[in-house]
Amino acid sequence: MRLNIPEQDYMYPGHVGCPGCGAAIAMKFFLKAMGHKTVIVLPACCWSIIAGPYPQSTLQIPLIHTAFETGGAVASGVRAALDVKGDRETVVVTWAGDGGTFDIGFQALSGAVERNEDFIYVCYDNEAYMNTGIQRSSATPYGAWTTTTPGAQWKRGRKKNIVEALAAHRIPYVATASIAFPEDLVRKVRKARVTKGSRFLHIYTTCPTGWRIASETSIKVARMAVETAVFPLYEVTDGVRYTINYTPRGFPVSEYLKLQGRFGHLTDDDLEQIQEMIDEDWRLLLRKAGRDL
Amino acid sequence: MKKVIEGSQAVAEAVRLARVNVISAYPITPQTHIVETLSGFCSDGTLDARFLKVESEHSALAALIGASSGGVRTFTATSSQGLALMHELLHWASGARLPIVMAEVNRALGPGWNIWTDQTDSLAQRDTGWIQLYCEDGQETLDTTLQAFYLAERVNLPVMVVLDAFFLSHTYEPVDIPDQEAVDRFLPPFSPRFQLDTKNPCAFGSLVTPDAYMEMRRSIAAGMEAALEMLPEVEERFAGIFGRRWAAIQPVRCDDAEIILVTSGTVTSTCRELVDNLREKGEKVGLLKVKLFRPFPVEDIRRALAPARKIAVIDRNFSFGASGIFAQEIRATLCDTPGHPTVFGFIAGIGGRDVTKDVLEEIYQKTKQSERPEREDIWIGLKEVPHALEHP
Amino acid sequence: MHKKIDTEAVSLYIPRSYLTTEGNRTGSWRFLRPRYEEKTAPCSVACPAAEDIGRIEMLTTQGLFKDAWETILRENPFPGVCGRVCFHPCEDACNRGSFDEAIAIHVLERFLANRAMRGSYEPVMERAAIRKERIAVIGAGPAGLSAAYFLTLLGYRTDVFEAADEAGGVLRWGIPLYRLPLAILREEIRRIEELGVRIQTGRTLSEQDVSDLAGEYDALFIACGHGRSVESGIPGEKSTGVRDGLSFLREVREGKAGTISGRAAVIGGGNAAIDVARSVIRLGGEAMIIYRRRRQDMPAFSEEIAMALDEGVKLRELLAPVAIRSDGGGLVLEVRPMKIAGIDADGRGHVEREGTQTEEIRIDFLFTAVGERAAETWYEPPDTGAAVLRLSHCVLTQKPGGGFVYGGDLTNGTKSVAHAVASGKEGAMALGTLLAEGMEAVPPRLASCRVGQDGAPSMEIYMRGSRSDRSPHVVTSDEINTAYFQFDPRLKQPRLLTEERTRTFGEVNLNISANLAIREAERCFNCGLCNQCDNCYLFCPDLAVKKDSGPLGRHIDYDYCKGCGVCAVECPRNALILEEEAHEEGH
Repeated sequence: MRLNIPEQDYMYPGHVGCPGCGAAIAMKFFLKAMGHKTVIVLPACCWSIIAGPYPQSTLQIPLIHTAFETGGAVASGVRAALDVKGDRETVVVTWAGDGGTFDIGFQALSGAVERNEDFIYVCYDNEAYMNTGIQRSSATPYGAWTTTTPGAQWKRGRKKNIVEALAAHRIPYVATASIAFPEDLVRKVRKARVTKGSRFLHIYTTCPTGWRIASETSIKVARMAVETAVFPLYEVTDGVRYTINYTPRGFPVSEYLKLQGRFGHLTDDDLEQIQEMIDEDWRLLLRKAGRDL
Repeated sequence: MKKVIEGSQAVAEAVRLARVNVISAYPITPQTHIVETLSGFCSDGTLDARFLKVESEHSALAALIGASSGGVRTFTATSSQGLALMHELLHWASGARLPIVMAEVNRALGPGWNIWTDQTDSLAQRDTGWIQLYCEDGQETLDTTLQAFYLAERVNLPVMVVLDAFFLSHTYEPVDIPDQEAVDRFLPPFSPRFQLDTKNPCAFGSLVTPDAYMEMRRSIAAGMEAALEMLPEVEERFAGIFGRRWAAIQPVRCDDAEIILVTSGTVTSTCRELVDNLREKGEKVGLLKVKLFRPFPVEDIRRALAPARKIAVIDRNFSFGASGIFAQEIRATLCDTPGHPTVFGFIAGIGGRDVTKDVLEEIYQKTKQSERPEREDIWIGLKEVPHALEHP
Repeated sequence: MHKKIDTEAVSLYIPRSYLTTEGNRTGSWRFLRPRYEEKTAPCSVACPAAEDIGRIEMLTTQGLFKDAWETILRENPFPGVCGRVCFHPCEDACNRGSFDEAIAIHVLERFLANRAMRGSYEPVMERAAIRKERIAVIGAGPAGLSAAYFLTLLGYRTDVFEAADEAGGVLRWGIPLYRLPLAILREEIRRIEELGVRIQTGRTLSEQDVSDLAGEYDALFIACGHGRSVESGIPGEKSTGVRDGLSFLREVREGKAGTISGRAAVIGGGNAAIDVARSVIRLGGEAMIIYRRRRQDMPAFSEEIAMALDEGVKLRELLAPVAIRSDGGGLVLEVRPMKIAGIDADGRGHVEREGTQTEEIRIDFLFTAVGERAAETWYEPPDTGAAVLRLSHCVLTQKPGGGFVYGGDLTNGTKSVAHAVASGKEGAMALGTLLAEGMEAVPPRLASCRVGQDGAPSMEIYMRGSRSDRSPHVVTSDEINTAYFQFDPRLKQPRLLTEERTRTFGEVNLNISANLAIREAERCFNCGLCNQCDNCYLFCPDLAVKKDSGPLGRHIDYDYCKGCGVCAVECPRNALILEEEAHEEGH
């Protein structure tokens, strides 16, 4: 029994997420931590389908589907309505994929957090436009195959650092979290819940279908991302104070990459280069957290 | 209380009186005075509303979709490029059956940048499921905006109140601004038929398969039909309290007209004068002002145009590859009526070019002198263009 | 005049949900199906008493000390004894050993036994209904007492006949007090008697007496032990000052040994030799062990050897005794040096004489402890014969009087208390099966009770307890998901300071607190067992792991389980299995 993870669920089984879907796991944990006084704004993403086709809903809380790029804006409106009605308890949450956050939805997100709208924006990141068939996004990591970066055209741009972009808005709370570290995720959701102003959570969610991994390794891959420092767990408060929550065990990044078919084409030189990039990013993060020596 | 105000301010006053809860708008000339006035009202407490200063028009309507789904009264204003940017969400708002009200200042679309009046922007959105009401002057603008909230909330469809750039938005006129108490009698508080509610959780807008979607679209269509049927009731209700009435169409001297000029927006005012002048000279001419464009008041228009032999529609807009849009709608309205009048479609005033009495007179004469129009769209007042790009 | 529109009649058919997704039985997607299947931990396979160690540690972690202790008692009536004198092969097999360090299972067993004593726990045991048969047990050593204990649990009225004044065998009369205090032994024997076992002490039986008993009782268990020293065969072993190690130890236990001053040599490499040396130290003498092979070849438990050396016992390796002679008031032991020349079949070093030199060692006393054997030949089990069944830890034979089982040191290759307990248990099972079903039924029945197929027999499995539902698959260390464990050092057994130890025969090992016990027990992976850590429940994307009030506290809802397999991989201890989904015909 995990002491710090609430037992109550706000989600029903019978949803159509792929077997091993990391996004489903993330929502489960998120709702456990949030409780029932939550409204979710859901722009187009995998969860638009997982949430259930008419007339079904897989969630036990109110939910509004919205157009792809409107996550930040619709949430601003819902918040305003609740305020007008005198409801200061219910928390407004945007639950968006990486497409609706990093790319098409970035404007609305940036606009909303620049206004310090009082809501939580959660990006569950499966690193491509998975719902429309595994096309690249700016969240797709360096080296990955997608249907729009196939073969020799594998993605040669770095993953956009969305946390830094959000931190630059100086909002009260930004954090990364992973489905393989549920207590850390729950703690951060709880913290976000009671913070006022704009809060942003970047949750790493494995996609067995899009990453070409066996479904049963969904959590293992997520854990390896953290342990290899590919996806560090950290928080940024007020855009300036960095706290690293977990020191990775420091396995080489190849241990993470080799688990996934989407990286199967990489050569040893590529792996070496990726390791350098990861090391560089980690050193940079240490510096920001005041932990470099 | 009568005040001399701009069309923009008339909109703002109506929004204030309607006790709107959430406003979200992005500035674009020539809508800016609307949002600035409302901003002032919110800031000095005249209006107790949340004003979301979003970062684009698309986000403005998105925010209102959120707020309206939250169960509160909402308003936005835009024009031209901004309305075009909202396009996707215009469909969304009506599909979600949200009673959002928008003031739409008719402005030309670029390129080149043109801030003057043109109806193509609002008419290009005619398929989006928004009720569209066109205004001629400041009083009508204020009154129509109030009626828009009432109508929207009765049929659960969004309403666009359309006014000409500069000719209406920035023109000062005396306008009777009603008392709050009278408006409260006309417009009760918003009572949403559905909303986001943690006590009664459900999902809005999920995936709908071909199995159910068609019926939902039919429901929107039915809402539009109800709006058409309901407009007289709204007209009565408003007239009963404020003593003014605004109907879907206003025929002027049409009963014995041989030629009827059809207009919308501020051009109507100019045309009224011309019709009076022509009548003084013995011409059998009438004027049909079209206020309601969506839903299109088919029966009313058939009835009003029946006496005439010819119709001259003045379109301050154009649908490329087809013709003027009001003309298209009127042709469609009349096509199955045996012995219907011949429809002449005229394009005038594009991009803010002035539609003077002379222009209208030219239109009348051309109509009178021909049995049939030489083409679907007749552009009035075109100039020679020495600098147009030629094929090399 | 104008129609009043009823707002509610305005059609409003929008995509607004009114059902949950529970109607979708996504279980139909599966082609692999997870199932909870508890498996066998390697420690329980290595334990001669087949203790359910993984479960014992799990219960200890939860603070359920009495439940943990009762779990031991299902397989071993002597936790207090074994927690002190066992050579803990379980720890060598412990999967945690390949992660950081093995669990201190031995220390935890001692802790639980202490708790039971201190809390005066009354155990609640599974017991079969009383049967009509009566069994006699000859010898109240660990094997005989265990046999009596298990036979009683199986419902047989059992009488034990013991020649000495007090029961216990080597536990009472051999192993020194600094390893096993008397109070502990007495308490554990008392508990056996409390079950209904009658122990008659001071009853020395002849072969004829035993024959007569065979007529009176329905079966016999012979566990007279190896109570006689093997002759060393060293010329001069009858000299004054040369003593047999076993009888010396007996004397010490009887309280009759006086002080020793001077140097003693001890010939031998087994536990008896170590016990002799360490006892000599405590009686005031110096001790030196002479062994013909190397330290690592000594059959004594390595921990015992280490403790002896800590206490100042000297060890001279690779020396073979040649002759003993008296000289003045003392003795001279002539030894010849040996060298390693290869490996013997048992893996120990093969020794050969090195050179022709010999060495003379001057001592005051000499103890021989080169081996033990049965005191009487008729104690030994028959070698061959039609009705002789060699089981893993005992020998079953049928004689005119009924079934005879020989067990304990008489039949065990490794002579340890744990093996003795296994003997008694297996003997009880063999007799129980023999009496109920006949000889032919014995081998298969006993084979089905082994832990993990290669391990020792389990009484819980024999009595068809829940342990019999476990898969015999033995969990290996690479089947453990070590991501859920942090490196954590093993508990160190607190002991008396070295200088304090040799002053008395008081117990060298000290108690640990419940806090430390729980911490150490938490290090246990609980290989193959579900300890309700909730990983499966937490990580299931389909909320298909439902909590309930059953023994595992959960079950899988196959209506929704898509067979993704995350639960099986994230179970730290391999308590799940993924199997192919059985499909209907035509799929």
